[in-house]
Amino acid sequence: MSHAGTAHLETSTGISNKKLLMWLFLASDCLFFGSFIAAYLLYRDRSIVGPYPEDLFDIPFTSVSAFVLLMSSVSMVLALAAIQKGNVRGLRIWLLTTAVLGTLFVAGQAYEFTEFYHEGLHLDTNLFGTTFYVLTGFHGAHVTIGILILLSLFVYSLRGGIQQKDSENIEIAGLYWHFVDIVWIVIFTLIYLVQP
Amino acid sequence: MRRVISTTTLKRLMPVLAMAALLALASACDTDTPQNTFDTKGPVAEKQAEIFYISMWPALAIMILVLGGIVLLCLRFRERDPSFVPKQTHGNTKLELAWTIAPAILLLAVGIPMVATIYDLGREPADDALRIDVVGQRYSWSFSYPDYPDADGNPLTISSLQGPAHIPVDREVAFHLQSIDVIHSFWVPKLGGKLDVIPGEENVLWLEASEAETFSGQCAEYCGLEHATMYLQLVAQPEDEFDAWVEEALAD
Amino acid sequence: MSSIAVPRKSPLAEALSNARHAAENRSSIWSWIGTVDHKRIGVLYGISAFIFFVLGGIEALLIRTQLIVPDSEFLNPDQFNRLFTMHGTTMVFLVVMPMSSAFFNLMIPLMIGARDVAFPRLNAFSYWTFLAGAIFLNASFFTGDILNGDLGAPDGGWFGYAPLNLEQYTPGHGMDFWMLGIQILGVASLAGGFNFIVTILNMRAPGMTLFRMPVFVWMTLVTSFLIIFAMPVIAVALFELTFDRLFDANFFNAEAGGNPLLWQHMFWLFGHPEVYILILPAFGIISDIIPTFSRKPLFGYPFVVFSGIAIGFMSWGVWVHHMYTTGLGTIANSAFGISTILIAVPTGVKIFNWMGTLWGGSIRLRAPMMFAIGTVAMFTIGGLSGVTHSMVPSDYQQQDSYYVVAHFHYVLFGGAIFALFGGIYYWFPKFVGRYMNEPLGQVHFWLTLIGFNLTFFPMHVSGLLGMPRRIYTYNSDMGWDLWNLMSSLGAFIIAISVLIFIINFLFSLRRGKEAGADPWDGRTLEWSIPSPPPEYNFREIPTVHARDEFWHQKYKEDETGAVTPVLAGGSGEDEHHEESAHALGIHMPSPSYMPLIVSLGFPFIATGLIYDYALIPVGAALIVIGLYGWAMEPATEEE
Repeated sequence: MSHAGTAHLETSTGISNKKLLMWLFLASDCLFFGSFIAAYLLYRDRSIVGPYPEDLFDIPFTSVSAFVLLMSSVSMVLALAAIQKGNVRGLRIWLLTTAVLGTLFVAGQAYEFTEFYHEGLHLDTNLFGTTFYVLTGFHGAHVTIGILILLSLFVYSLRGGIQQKDSENIEIAGLYWHFVDIVWIVIFTLIYLVQP
Repeated sequence: MRRVISTTTLKRLMPVLAMAALLALASACDTDTPQNTFDTKGPVAEKQAEIFYISMWPALAIMILVLGGIVLLCLRFRERDPSFVPKQTHGNTKLELAWTIAPAILLLAVGIPMVATIYDLGREPADDALRIDVVGQRYSWSFSYPDYPDADGNPLTISSLQGPAHIPVDREVAFHLQSIDVIHSFWVPKLGGKLDVIPGEENVLWLEASEAETFSGQCAEYCGLEHATMYLQLVAQPEDEFDAWVEEALAD
Repeated sequence: MSSIAVPRKSPLAEALSNARHAAENRSSIWSWIGTVDHKRIGVLYGISAFIFFVLGGIEALLIRTQLIVPDSEFLNPDQFNRLFTMHGTTMVFLVVMPMSSAFFNLMIPLMIGARDVAFPRLNAFSYWTFLAGAIFLNASFFTGDILNGDLGAPDGGWFGYAPLNLEQYTPGHGMDFWMLGIQILGVASLAGGFNFIVTILNMRAPGMTLFRMPVFVWMTLVTSFLIIFAMPVIAVALFELTFDRLFDANFFNAEAGGNPLLWQHMFWLFGHPEVYILILPAFGIISDIIPTFSRKPLFGYPFVVFSGIAIGFMSWGVWVHHMYTTGLGTIANSAFGISTILIAVPTGVKIFNWMGTLWGGSIRLRAPMMFAIGTVAMFTIGGLSGVTHSMVPSDYQQQDSYYVVAHFHYVLFGGAIFALFGGIYYWFPKFVGRYMNEPLGQVHFWLTLIGFNLTFFPMHVSGLLGMPRRIYTYNSDMGWDLWNLMSSLGAFIIAISVLIFIINFLFSLRRGKEAGADPWDGRTLEWSIPSPPPEYNFREIPTVHARDEFWHQKYKEDETGAVTPVLAGGSGEDEHHEESAHALGIHMPSPSYMPLIVSLGFPFIATGLIYDYALIPVGAALIVIGLYGWAMEPATEEE
């Protein structure tokens, strides 16, 4: 008996197909964010009219939301640890926690966008508006997709679809989640903290 | 299944092709056409052509060797007995090293004059260079001479739609290139290669005409509907004639 | 979330299950729409790419007809500009890339001894997304008043430089279709890139170590890595353009301080690896054809492989050679000038090794071999002209002239298209069970070679005589008449040669001479299985002991290097009666419509962005429903 194209086969590298796919996707996504970050840095200080970053950034607020996202990585780790021990209930709790923390982060971003918008920073106002909204917006979209994945896994586990043997699926979702988290640390550092 | 026809055709055709290629290039060097990059009329174009020759002749030689080699190999080693299986050679490290290192050395060797010329042409224009501010816009060029203001203090300005701009012979001309819309490229082949005209930036290209002649050029970066007709002309003349032209143009 | 909650026996699930069963019948049209079989997806890719090749060729013929004489009024400037934009975009994104994908799909599992790719449904998704993007891009023609000669196609050139690509300079929807169409095609390429890396790294038969893989597999691996790293860069550039065009953002707006050169840097940071995405598969194909028809192993296999990897790495460090004339300064131009001339070294290594393979061989000049040798010869010319304008000062003259047009056609037509034709002649018997007609193949080759050189060699001359590219008209006093006349005549010879190919292909499908499992005395695993291959490829997954595994099953060498055939074995599988996967107890992935449903979402979203936002949720819903269906349905039907 042999299967084609399924994960049951032993692979040549020993890494499962799905996990390798996720690693490759994340490698590719690095270039995606790298390009947006490069555009932001290139256009830093080239805006002709305000508002400028220093007029708008509320570092304490964004630090808190960054911390929330960071904590969601911890709960993601706990979710994986739970299912690896066969603790389905723990998995559900930590998956939901992660999703809620992620949602808090996205809500914070929505609040920040609204604030900036009211203070006169629109997509077409200046280079800062253009590069800032597009870069952080794409990151927010990544987080949102992550939340959808987490909630889907949560619902699936409620229906009994995730057991100890399926822990790799959680691990792969976790890879994505941690990546999105790391990208935020880079964005937060380069864009909010390091002001020229 | 021997394909006698094709191998002999191959044998005949390849040298013919190579010869045609050489003849075509040779004829290109001779023809007196308005934008011929071989028919250089100034030091910039001349240096660029020299660099081209430095790479073109070895390239042609290698092309003939490789193409000829391929044809000879196909003839020499073509199948004679379908059941014959030749010795299975897998490679030769010395050969590999040779054909890695030799081309690298050859390429770096042509790279040295290349870099020298990049710096040579990339220098600032001379102090006595005539400054002309060129503005590219879809689909014409305007040339202003800040050194020659009219009675109101505005520089002498001429559009490529009105007539040719004039430049002095044997004196560097610094073209300050700006665009008010999209990217264009300023190119007068007999005087030298092109430089892009970019909105929001100023690029400076210096050229020098060594002969009194009317030079044609045109936009070399696709810029929209009438890109093909975004022509320009430069009339190079001796300094006194140039001064006379300036005076006449200012009087108009 | 109702799609998750669909219970097993709901009417919807039942309908889906029935539809999947309909697709199991391998002769129905549904079996093609729902297919996840890599061979069928390869065929779909190949046929689609060829149709676009004809379309792009017609565009080229219109361009060449316009330029056949000076001051021609065959086309108006607007039509000319839109046609050359679509010609370039089509040939790069809709012909060479998907034609290479066709060969990845057809060949990779067979060459590494696998039953399918790692993710069969992702593979189907890749194809349908490509098709969706390709049709979407070409739909732009119809946004103009096409019956009155008003083409709606994009008009910014295939590299769509900023700020010409902004709405104020290219109004109308052509460029919108262009940027969103390429974005969709990028998704397809990324999906394929991921899939083939995982397939090659993970799905190799026992004993198929990396350095026993056929060179085509290696080049596919390198190409796939280039794809997954280059595509995000162009995706970002296209997103930025999308925000600029549709939402008034400022990325390329010089008035707001934006830098138009940002587009060029990003485009060519993608674009130069892209050049190697186009050519490396071709190198792989001929690296397998030349040894077979020389009856010798590839000379210097590790060097050919490593030079391919080196080219892949170096392709990231040469993009500024597309921008020498933008005024980046002496340091940038010198550095990139040197890196560019050095990329000729690994390319030269490949050419010398192909010649080394010919040396001492027993060369059969059949059609696949003719095209492979033609590739080496024509690519050599293109590579050498490439060296002449990697020389920065001479490039100041050549940039954006017909000299460059000549160069990249030698590389992409003389290199990639020649090799792809060679690949078609070579592997046609494997998938059809018949040879393509040999005399017609020879006529096709010679007409292509003559037509190609007649078209593109004179362009070197017209370029050096100062003819810029992308001009719809020229004066007869420029001295370009003869060269353009030659180019245009050559283009029509190429067109005739393609017609002959089409006739040969259609004729040989039904009437071609029958070919067995191993018509060319092949060296790699695909020749060890019947022609056409059964659905499951290999009855038993082979165990690999050597590079050129199949050759070693057929021949043995003594200490002196003399070769004798092994009498038993060889293409033994040919005689097996073909049995269904089911009868053999092999589980093949089940057909699925979900990839198609997800793919359909993209053109809805893109059309919605241009015309009516109400379409966006429709597209998003298709994607979400398709993805959940994809996740929920079993990949392999259980017993």
